[in-house]
Amino acid sequence: MGARLIALALLLVAAPVWAQQGIDGFEAGIDLRAVAASGARSFLDGGLGDLRFDPQHSGARLDSVWLDYNGSLHDVVHFVADAVAYADGDRYPLDLTQAFAEWRPYPLGVWRSRLKVGAFYAPISFENWLVGWRSPYTLSYSAIDTWVGEELRTIGGEYDLDWLGRQRGHAWQLGVTASLYGWNNPAGTLLALRGWALHDRQTTLFGRIGTPGTGFVRGLREFYGNFGGGPGYYVGANAKHRGDLELRVLHYDNLTDPSRYSPALDNHAWHTVFDSAGGSWTPTPRWTVISQWLGGDTCASPALACYQFNSAYLLASWQRGADRLTARYDGFQMHSYSGPYANRNRGHAWTFAYQRELNSHLSVALEELRMVSSLASRRFVGEPQGLAENELQLALRAQL
Amino acid sequence: MQRRASARAARRSSFRAVLPALAVTLCTVLLPSLTPARAADVEVRVQDPAAKGVPGIVVIAEPDRPTHDRSAVRTAVMDQIHMQFVPNILVIQTGSAVDFPNSDQIRHQVYSFSAAKKFELSLYEGHQYPPVLFDRAGLVTVGCNIHDNMIGYIYVTDSPFFGRTDAAGRVVLHGLPAGDYTLTLWHPGMHEPGGKTLHAKLTLAAGGARAQQLFKLTRPLLPDMNATGDMGSMRWAQD
Repeated sequence: MGARLIALALLLVAAPVWAQQGIDGFEAGIDLRAVAASGARSFLDGGLGDLRFDPQHSGARLDSVWLDYNGSLHDVVHFVADAVAYADGDRYPLDLTQAFAEWRPYPLGVWRSRLKVGAFYAPISFENWLVGWRSPYTLSYSAIDTWVGEELRTIGGEYDLDWLGRQRGHAWQLGVTASLYGWNNPAGTLLALRGWALHDRQTTLFGRIGTPGTGFVRGLREFYGNFGGGPGYYVGANAKHRGDLELRVLHYDNLTDPSRYSPALDNHAWHTVFDSAGGSWTPTPRWTVISQWLGGDTCASPALACYQFNSAYLLASWQRGADRLTARYDGFQMHSYSGPYANRNRGHAWTFAYQRELNSHLSVALEELRMVSSLASRRFVGEPQGLAENELQLALRAQL
Repeated sequence: MQRRASARAARRSSFRAVLPALAVTLCTVLLPSLTPARAADVEVRVQDPAAKGVPGIVVIAEPDRPTHDRSAVRTAVMDQIHMQFVPNILVIQTGSAVDFPNSDQIRHQVYSFSAAKKFELSLYEGHQYPPVLFDRAGLVTVGCNIHDNMIGYIYVTDSPFFGRTDAAGRVVLHGLPAGDYTLTLWHPGMHEPGGKTLHAKLTLAAGGARAQQLFKLTRPLLPDMNATGDMGSMRWAQD
């Protein structure tokens, strides 16, 4: 309820800004897909397949419609709201994935402070830097950023302090980040139950994951309660070198009390702690190389079931004009190390994508994703633990 | 009386005879002090360690005697295209102005806190502001407060003699009067043992011959990796 109030408050604050500043910050788009998938039934449909689509959901389909808003007030307060309507259904026809306000004053000399309040993503992903937290590289995000999109949302505040060394002729810009947040007590549930996945379906603030009442992931609601103690925190640091290299590290701890349980969500509180590190390197204007690593553990009662997890990926992308080619390799593992609910997940995935901008409003993308994984909990839904899944997608995206 | 008249006539006649010679002498003696010596051109070439021409280097010839020549004052343009300042380096004479249109489909917020010029242009698209006046010499670094990777450089100099090397690493500065100069080379990607700037002394003698100066960098320029490509319809989130 608190998250709902925060988002509502932000929208109310933003509404007069829209009226004052005009609506030039609105962007809307539609995403159409043609999918050919093999493998197990998707976790979104009651199975324990790790991809967004499965053989039952192949064919041409409407994927989603999105609406993004970016406005400002007095030049230094900025508002961002990203909403999406998924064609495969959710609790609400249109829901938010992010909604926040950012105070971003002009630098004081070489120093600049920033303060964000609302619901937004922690600075983990190097892939999802487009508006709406979308990726310019692939349709399906890496395993790490898929999980970030599924279960992590900072609902609270984040403070950044930047040292703008490049403005003084230095090669580096440095920054530190600290955040306090709530409403993230269920984070870790999906990793423990289903393991790692690769897709681009960001969980909405008031939405759910999966089909209600079906399978392991039975329509979990993620962001509705602050029932597990906290608040949680993360601290991080970043360094940017001349526009060709960016590095980030982050330590995250949601400080949840794992003995808590929410009848409303029918979920336990998961104490999730992890470290994240990553970098993006642009050796030439046409090439981008990105790598991220994330590792930690998550625990929940009863009987304090604990799971250790980590994943890493390497992505290389080549762009010339309107064409972009990307290849990515993901490796991942998760295993339980205490408690009665043993589970184990291990695997890797290759993703190859080609994107072309037809004009400023239309783009196409073709992606082949092959994922090989083993997941112990698949035996509970009558599927083999080891699985090779393929997903070929053609996307046509139009935006205003 | 007649003798006196004839003597005056003889003096007039002799004065007329020396007048042309006097005029030549006066011109020879006085003109160099009244007008500059015949102007010369200076050709500067910049090469990397592999003897390949280095483009984009700012080259300034600054007279050792302060000049009041403001002939290079103008209004320059630094556009914003695909999340970059274009061009990302300008060199202008003190008193010039720079126009900052935004050709992107997203808003930018241009600022500088450099000592030579502090200014802010509130969030804007298109062409909303008059040109900004740069009235102090020095290096001005401009940025966008929304997109930190956008960095532009404006080198403001009191000298009217400046340029940037072309694709072959060559620039010709025209019309420099005779005298002593300091040649300055600058580029943000230069990382010579002495830093981002090179200096050399230059003396131009009267006579207008073209002077040539070759600079050999000991290290190649650091590449400019700020370019984010030209997928123009993609909407970036802020940094």
